[in-house]
Amino acid sequence: MSHLPKHRQLPDKESKLFKELLTQYELKGYKKGLKAADTILKKFPNHGETLALKALTLYSSLPSPLTVSTAPKQDEAEAMARLAVKKDITSHITWHVLGILAKSRKDWDEASRAFAMARKQDNDNIPLIRDSISLYLHTRQYSQAVSARHHYLLLRPQIRSSWLGLVVAHHLDGDIDEALRAYDGFADCMQTDGATGPEKSQVCLYIVKLCMEGGKHEEALRRLEKGLADKVISPRGEASQLKAELLFTLGRREEAEDAYRALLEQNPDNLEYYRGFLRTKGLDITASLDQDATSRVLAQLSTFAESYPRSSAPRRLALDIAQGETFRTLARDYLVSGLEKGVPSLFVDVKGVYPDASKMSVVGEVVEDIISNVQKDVSLHADGLTPLRLPRSTDDSSVGVLLPCAPPGSPPQPFPGVQARPRPPLHRTRAHADPPEIHMAKAMVLKRAGDAQGAAEAMEEARLLDGQDRFLNGKAAKYWLRAGDVKKAEDLVAMFTKKDMTAVADLTDLQCLWFLQEEGDAYRRNGNLAMALKRYQALVNVFQDYEDDQYDFHTYCMRRMTLAAYVSLMRYEDQLRSHPGYFKGALAAIGVYLQLSDKPDLKEEKLTPEEEAERKKAAKKAQKADQKAKKAAAAASDGKKEDPPVPDADPLGQQLLKTETPLDDALKLWKPLETHAAARIETWLAGYEIQIRRKLFLAALQCLQESAAIDGENPDLHRQILHFHRTVSAATDLPSAVKSTIEATLPSLLPTGTTPDDFNASFLSRHPASSAHILGAAGGLLEIKRASNPLPSNTSAEILAVLDKLFSDGVSPSIEVLQKGRSVLEEAGADKAVLEAWRERCRTKLPLAWVFASKEEVEARNASEGPVPNGTVKADV
Amino acid sequence: MDIRQATVDDLLGMQNANLLNLPENYTFKYYLYHALTWPELSYVAVDPRGRVVGYILAKMEEEPSEEPCGHVTSISVLRPYRRLGLANKLMRQAQEAMVAHYNAAKITLHVRKSNRAAISLYRDTLGFEVHLMEKGYYADGEDAYGMRYLFQRPT
Repeated sequence: MSHLPKHRQLPDKESKLFKELLTQYELKGYKKGLKAADTILKKFPNHGETLALKALTLYSSLPSPLTVSTAPKQDEAEAMARLAVKKDITSHITWHVLGILAKSRKDWDEASRAFAMARKQDNDNIPLIRDSISLYLHTRQYSQAVSARHHYLLLRPQIRSSWLGLVVAHHLDGDIDEALRAYDGFADCMQTDGATGPEKSQVCLYIVKLCMEGGKHEEALRRLEKGLADKVISPRGEASQLKAELLFTLGRREEAEDAYRALLEQNPDNLEYYRGFLRTKGLDITASLDQDATSRVLAQLSTFAESYPRSSAPRRLALDIAQGETFRTLARDYLVSGLEKGVPSLFVDVKGVYPDASKMSVVGEVVEDIISNVQKDVSLHADGLTPLRLPRSTDDSSVGVLLPCAPPGSPPQPFPGVQARPRPPLHRTRAHADPPEIHMAKAMVLKRAGDAQGAAEAMEEARLLDGQDRFLNGKAAKYWLRAGDVKKAEDLVAMFTKKDMTAVADLTDLQCLWFLQEEGDAYRRNGNLAMALKRYQALVNVFQDYEDDQYDFHTYCMRRMTLAAYVSLMRYEDQLRSHPGYFKGALAAIGVYLQLSDKPDLKEEKLTPEEEAERKKAAKKAQKADQKAKKAAAAASDGKKEDPPVPDADPLGQQLLKTETPLDDALKLWKPLETHAAARIETWLAGYEIQIRRKLFLAALQCLQESAAIDGENPDLHRQILHFHRTVSAATDLPSAVKSTIEATLPSLLPTGTTPDDFNASFLSRHPASSAHILGAAGGLLEIKRASNPLPSNTSAEILAVLDKLFSDGVSPSIEVLQKGRSVLEEAGADKAVLEAWRERCRTKLPLAWVFASKEEVEARNASEGPVPNGTVKADV
Repeated sequence: MDIRQATVDDLLGMQNANLLNLPENYTFKYYLYHALTWPELSYVAVDPRGRVVGYILAKMEEEPSEEPCGHVTSISVLRPYRRLGLANKLMRQAQEAMVAHYNAAKITLHVRKSNRAAISLYRDTLGFEVHLMEKGYYADGEDAYGMRYLFQRPT
């Protein structure tokens, strides 16, 4: 033991107390520990290590979640830990405690720094090294993780996980050779491996995968076959799949073929097994096939369909492969058999072939034919004799029921062949025997047609038929949110959430992404940007939780030896925010922040009298709750009464809304998209909007280039290019370097010598029948007109002339395009009469789209149908 | 539908399907715990667009017992994907995996007393039997049946 520095020394009595403090902390005797600490501190108030341990003990004694009375104590503990480091900066204890507290707050960077400092003071401290390793791995400092692992191995060479940990660290650090050397060193050292069977199996498979990743296929196969022969690993599942892949890679095709056959015996519903099998025959179904290859694939699949009659996989795969008349025959068989079984997902399943337009129309024709046969009560089978066999629950209307289930795809008509036909089942009502699916189908069609209210009511009908079914409940809630009725949606979802908290709180705890997104969107559509941000930020926080969740597994997986799963976790977490849930939520929140940046007065609420009253009521309630909490806190500190958890400081999102830095907030959400969603054009379109507002012209220009590389003809990009051109043309104070870069780069987007007008006209002429591009050209024209301020008086008329093309024959504008068209008109200064005329045209064009209905129409409809009372839920049956 | 072993990449899809379909839900970490302890046992059914439409989340009992025992934490198929036999296929894959990788002697699960469709699937199609009743097992107070299936083991 080295000499203690003077300020750390304690007399015998206090030294004993200090040990007592340590012991009590480990035994979770927090009260006794604190008492010991206080006794020391009375005499030695500057004793850093005592302060640190007191901070740690205090922190550990607090409940989770924090309550009103304990919240201040957490701050006290944090401050004390900082003070402790100041008092004794060369103590490993003070730094270690600081690190532990930072780790608990999930401030991984600070924790990592504090642990590094602690290790400087006490290099061989085992718990310290263990924590450091986790933090290095967590913060992806792999080379530091490797050296910490080395160090740990020297101190604990006899433990299996010391070795395996080093192997994994090398692997993550990108050095597969070194990882394998470390593993073989371990295998040599540990003659008798005390691991259980499943543990050995995990390690063996991991090493095989490690070899494969390093391109050592022979070695991988050798190790794998040894593992199989020694019965260390089971041939079921992954091991056999790896073997098949390895054999194929090594050119041993016949053996690979046998391996895939064996896999299909295990699981004839695994598509990768079919793909792998066909690859061994020189047939790659992920690439395009010539005619000969196509028929060979179909022949193989048909054999498998016979061998595995209960598996739909070979028959469904065949639909992807087949062309022309063969496709028609196979599609018909597939649809008839699905209809006979009454598979509700039949058309969602078949929708996979729609990207091929000719296949989509064949499906449409086949469906038409089936419907007419059903109506004529004629056999659906090729022989024309086998009688019609539809399941009981789906009588003659069933085809009609399933038909509209068909197309959550392209709006507004599912199949070219059936667009004009009336849909009798939609308007039929039968008191009994209707499955919820018929109402769901109706709801889906109405939703896509733009009648959110009607859709919600139809989905509500479906829900009422089976109140115990959470799927229907969630769908109905979602449809109410689409119709703007947040209260009703919350009442519905509450039927399946915990009773002792609000539905939103429970769904947030349970990380229910769809609900947070949909409710945020509903608030946004209703103009409540504060609550929209509140929900979007909750969703973003869920992803932070997903990221933080990995922490415990850095040690856990070494213990359980699930090394391959661990490495896949690390890789998954690295690209976590490429998840479409994050993408969607982040883009929506960015949209709100851009609105706030453009119109700061949105931060000031304009409330209707009703909302005002509602607000006052809420404020009163909050005040009451606050008082109650304070009372409870007072009572709790007396050791009595309940102590509620700390309430949400911003329940209505007001603080989020009042942000002073909307663009920085947006940028923070955008950064992960830049890295993980770089292939999506929406990322760069949003990036442009952020950067141009930050006046970072080169960054904005780069976003334009990235968009152009993905889709040079994108209509939003088109408008952005013209916006950029106008903005930089008007900017007078550009640094010369910026200016010259723009001059060098912009021509790749907007060719020199092409006037903006020509650019816009040529864009429009290239896409005369595409509604999105017509809209893009209208937006482009607005950007051009904005070069003069105020706008020229003919602006809205000229823009209307472009938008007119949306109503030409052969152009089928979506609801969204028509709504955006209105925004462009509004931006262009169109007067009320023009906007009203626009609305009427839209209404005529898309008669089911109630978003375009006039106020009077909506009121009349509500009156005729009996208003659906707001905020009440029909009782369940 | 593609039926394959679940990977870490599938867990959020499983969580989503679970939240849409069932009243018993878990945070992501609990899914991680399954996937990073028994990576071979959980399976997913995935539609052509890559969406998880059904899953089985499975584990081995951690308490030491005479024989290894598998347990189904959660199994579910989204309502529109019923009648495809997916639950049956998912269950069979998980069962085979329990036997092959962990030498399981039996598999257990809990089911709501009122969930007749599920009980009939487990009992009539998959050969489970009710072996106990747990009063008030579910958060809302409903009773659960404990069901089990004994694997045929080589003698």
